[in-house]
Amino acid sequence: MKAKVQFLEVSGKGGYIGLLGGLAALLVIGLLSAYYMEHHGHHVTGMTNQIVWGMPHVFAIFLIVAASGALNVASIASVFGKQVYKPLAPLSALLSMALLMGGLAVLVLDLGRPDRLIVAMTYYNFKSIFAWNIFLYTGFLGIVLVYLWFMLEKRMNRYSHYAGFTAFIWRLILTTGTGSIFGFLVAREAYNAAILAPLFIVMSFSLGLAVFLLVLMAAYRWTERPLGDLVMRRLKNLLGVFIGAVLYFVAVYHVTNLYATRLHGAEAFILLNGGIYTFLFWFVQILIGSVLPLILLFHPTLGRSRSIIGTACVLVILGGLAQLYVIIIGGQAWPLNLFPGYEISSSFYDGVVASYRPTLPEFLLGIGGAALAMLIVALGVRFLRLLPASLADERVDPHAAKAAAAEPEAAAAQA
Amino acid sequence: MSTELLLSDKETRGKAGTRRYAMVIDLRRCIGCDACMVACKAEFDVPLGVFRTWVPYRVVGKYPKVKKQFLPRLCNHCDDPPCVRACPVEATFKVPDGGFVLQNYERCIGCKACMASCPYNARFMLPAQRTYSKITRVVDKCTFCHHRVTQNLVPACVQTCIGRARVFGDLNDPNSEVSQLVTRNATQVLRPEQGTKPHVFYIGADRNQTDYGRQLYNRNAFLDSEREAFNRNHSL
Repeated sequence: MKAKVQFLEVSGKGGYIGLLGGLAALLVIGLLSAYYMEHHGHHVTGMTNQIVWGMPHVFAIFLIVAASGALNVASIASVFGKQVYKPLAPLSALLSMALLMGGLAVLVLDLGRPDRLIVAMTYYNFKSIFAWNIFLYTGFLGIVLVYLWFMLEKRMNRYSHYAGFTAFIWRLILTTGTGSIFGFLVAREAYNAAILAPLFIVMSFSLGLAVFLLVLMAAYRWTERPLGDLVMRRLKNLLGVFIGAVLYFVAVYHVTNLYATRLHGAEAFILLNGGIYTFLFWFVQILIGSVLPLILLFHPTLGRSRSIIGTACVLVILGGLAQLYVIIIGGQAWPLNLFPGYEISSSFYDGVVASYRPTLPEFLLGIGGAALAMLIVALGVRFLRLLPASLADERVDPHAAKAAAAEPEAAAAQA
Repeated sequence: MSTELLLSDKETRGKAGTRRYAMVIDLRRCIGCDACMVACKAEFDVPLGVFRTWVPYRVVGKYPKVKKQFLPRLCNHCDDPPCVRACPVEATFKVPDGGFVLQNYERCIGCKACMASCPYNARFMLPAQRTYSKITRVVDKCTFCHHRVTQNLVPACVQTCIGRARVFGDLNDPNSEVSQLVTRNATQVLRPEQGTKPHVFYIGADRNQTDYGRQLYNRNAFLDSEREAFNRNHSL
């Protein structure tokens, strides 16, 4: 009979307080940055009236997209019935909510008028994808909260499958909504593509799982709890598949655009002569953030090392940030073609690539959002029983563990 | 019948009983004096570095036959404005009578969705500190001088234009000057492919601003360099 998984809070001693202190400090720095930008206005940021969404949006969208993907593990357990992942589902749900709250905090604090948040919650234009996203984000938080409650409350466990299924569908719609923010911006040549919605969905799978893996490894290392190879092997293989899927969608997106003559300028800007955007695309997003992690994860010997898996996750996150930088900022930097055939050059930014130089407060606000997410996770695992006491192979899947142990013995016997 | 001609419930152009204000900018008359920009700045206390209307130019030709070409710009007060669709809180709205696309400053949350969705880059963010106005940190744009038009005045830029390059009026009124100009002249709009049905019409934009127009209307100037090269090599 399979052993029952025991969930325990983490102890609040030693390094835990230091971790909380560090995260709180980053959060305060982020809040101070938001105050500085709010007090002095738009002009102290790198954002202009041409590049209206900058570094804070890169972080915010990253956190929101990763939030959706962090629920992968719980979805695989609840929706697809994979029992191995079931012990990880509560952490997956908590991380998902935390990342979303971090992303939304950045987004709200970057508004011109964050003090009017209540307006955003009370007036809706249902033709606006932004208004729909407000529903999708708040709805996601509510659904995942209920899902987490169903998982933690014994008498509600039997409903957790339904809540998990609802959360799964909702998060697909949520990421579709996030991708559609850019897909619906038909005025910009680099956006205006339906494929951005599924691209954001697969990006969420990849980025969310990378963040989840890092949090999982850190939590088990710092609490000195056993974390078996079985779970890690499955998760890192899954991450590799998701990275491949992102590469596929990126290739389809660019090849489709290259087929349309009118988009050749915008594509050449990203792929060939866009300076920082071209560098970020090829070197950081594709090479460092996709190809290298794939090699590391699927290498027969390197892929077994925890530190290599962790490195691959960090690279995937860097690649994801670069990808969002290229999509969000590169897409705005490319000038609007206001009068086809008319090459404008003037002091009014027509026909010239808009420049953007992120400032420190923008960066710190984004870091503050990430710190908020991690702070919520740290507090969650401290006060709620979310982390299994052991994820050793024999605990997670005794049959697979036995089979894995038998393999070398059988090989030795054969020899 | 083309679907282009079908009116949505939001559209006001050609709708009986409603007014549809539009501006015609005759580029043959624009001299690039920037008086329109100054008048607009004075009318609305538009902050430094941003403009509700602006006059980009470019220099064409070869020395000594060079000239400046202008393309004054402003919000196009589209009949199907993407900014109105994009605004999550309905802070940007279209006035049914007149077709003005306006901004509710009390409701705008400064998310900049309208700025990203505007195909004409006609919107800007107001700074955090202003001398004479308390409207800060929200998005602003040209209003077609709604406050003046409702008092039977023309917009400030039209009032001040010394070459009378800018003409403003009701496009739904067949006797108005803008109607007559649009009817009798070849006009162009910016980014027609976007389907936004902009209501700033240009006369002469194709002639001045495109290769096709220069070939058609300024054939001699366009071919000068080629003719010189030909004559150098084929002296008879």
